Amino acid sequence: MSTRTLSFGGRSSGWIWYGYVTLVALFLMIPLVSLVIASFYDGRFFSIVDYQFTLGWYNAALSSGSIRRAFTNTLFISVPVTVLSTIIGTAAALAYTRYEFPYRESFKLIALLPIFFPLILLGLGMSMWASQIGLGYGLVPSIIGELVWISPIVMFVVSITALGIDPNTEEAARDLGADTLTLYRRVLFPLVADGVVSGAIFAFVLSWNNYYIVSYLSGPQSTITTWIHGRMTQGFTPVVPAVASLIFYVSILLVVGAIVIEYRKDDTGE
Amino acid sequence: MSTLQRLRTRLGRSGASEGGVVELLAPPWILLVPMSLLLLVMFVGPMVAIVVFSFQTGNSIVATPLEWSIATYEEVVGGVISGEGVYGDVLVNTVAVSATTTALTLIVSYPAAYALARRIKRYKLVFLMLLIIPLFTSVNIRVFGWALFLVQNGVLDSIVGLFGIEEYASLMYQRSTIILGTTYVYLPFMLFPIYLSMLSIEDATIEAAEDLGASSYTLFRRILLPLSKPGIVIGSLFVFVLSLGANVEAEILGGGSIFTIASNIQYSFGYSQNWPLGSTQAVGLLLITVVSGIVILRTIDLREIAERGD
Repeated sequence: MSTRTLSFGGRSSGWIWYGYVTLVALFLMIPLVSLVIASFYDGRFFSIVDYQFTLGWYNAALSSGSIRRAFTNTLFISVPVTVLSTIIGTAAALAYTRYEFPYRESFKLIALLPIFFPLILLGLGMSMWASQIGLGYGLVPSIIGELVWISPIVMFVVSITALGIDPNTEEAARDLGADTLTLYRRVLFPLVADGVVSGAIFAFVLSWNNYYIVSYLSGPQSTITTWIHGRMTQGFTPVVPAVASLIFYVSILLVVGAIVIEYRKDDTGE
Repeated sequence: MSTLQRLRTRLGRSGASEGGVVELLAPPWILLVPMSLLLLVMFVGPMVAIVVFSFQTGNSIVATPLEWSIATYEEVVGGVISGEGVYGDVLVNTVAVSATTTALTLIVSYPAAYALARRIKRYKLVFLMLLIIPLFTSVNIRVFGWALFLVQNGVLDSIVGLFGIEEYASLMYQRSTIILGTTYVYLPFMLFPIYLSMLSIEDATIEAAEDLGASSYTLFRRILLPLSKPGIVIGSLFVFVLSLGANVEAEILGGGSIFTIASNIQYSFGYSQNWPLGSTQAVGLLLITVVSGIVILRTIDLREIAERGD
């Protein structure tokens, strides 16, 4: 790829662009950094000059029964959502990208539409619907609800990988005598594997962080995000930043992992 | 595009040769079933529920579609038109928040997207990660982080205190605080579509323009701007629609004193337990969302994104 650049303000002023993007990145980091700073702070009135470090809030968070239950509930939702949305999204992506069928474009349109919905709209529609069809509220309805938003995102991610595969691949495999099962097991799945893995990681992180949908569907069960929200609106304790930070640490590790996988693919592929 | 068509006809032929009922148990049909079932049961159903409930009366929590009424529509639409009562305020707040958010995210994102796509080569992955990470953090947590930053005796207080500034107006619980929150939360939804459209501009195009003597301004107006337009359209619709649904931002940063459509819907459902009234407002949101979503999806070319390799 050629790397000749535009010459706004000449070549020497490239640092301006670095500076600007750094500012935007800093802006995006403000609340997350504030959160982490607050989670280690032991004192009433916050002060940078006189910072009192403590791990006490993390200890308190990890030893509280209600917080641990909320973590368990969140995992009980996130793990099935990850597995199921990866299967559903990958299947739909393969159908859309590697086959021709009637109403193919309409299928894509409807399947990807939930991505663009404000979650409050999905959540409250699902909440009314769950009461009408007798699905009720709890962990299982939350799983089904999150699937509606997350499966299309997996489909989007896997589709982009699957569209990058040479269109002649299937024909070549068939010509060499591969049946459908062999075609999938030996050819298609290995080729989309990286997309599926990053799709699955994104699915887990999005489910792990989801608030709107579970807040409408989890009923009496509290998840970690609804617990935080409850504490934010009524009865703040310094444990809240610690709990929120814990969620953030898990997310950041997984997202960085997913990006590294994507990046490795770009390096070796092409 | 032509390779795609060739692929389709080829696959069409090989699919047809298998034939019969078995075909329905083979790809692509079997692959389409899970997604279709899921969306039918838990996406189409809930949206129908919103529409049906919007035509119900009183505080009904069981839908009786045959006994419908437009009472809630009269209340909401009448309130919006006359501008009186809560709906006038809700309309003004909602439009102010969403339009300002869209404009601000566009102004902030455009130069950043340009820089990322065309100027930044070193540490690009690090920058991309820093911009993506907030997207995968609960909106709750990010808004909470802002509250910790802005609140009295918070992080900002402590920082400005270093410069000897002790007294300044509280930054919390205002409309501008909500806008700060929504601008923050939805910035990546503007930045990445523009970034992708900038990536697709051929270097040769820009070189040619430069060789023909185009100034920086002409280059921007005649080349960059028109070619990045799809990204601007997608990003703007995305940010506008998503910020219409911004409830947590209004609740936490607005302190429950400023009502937008999202917080008013939430209020109708939660506090006053009036499903039909909440649904009627949600129908308005639903219409805007569906139209924008379709426009976005028709503008996005997945194949093009795949070819850019980012």
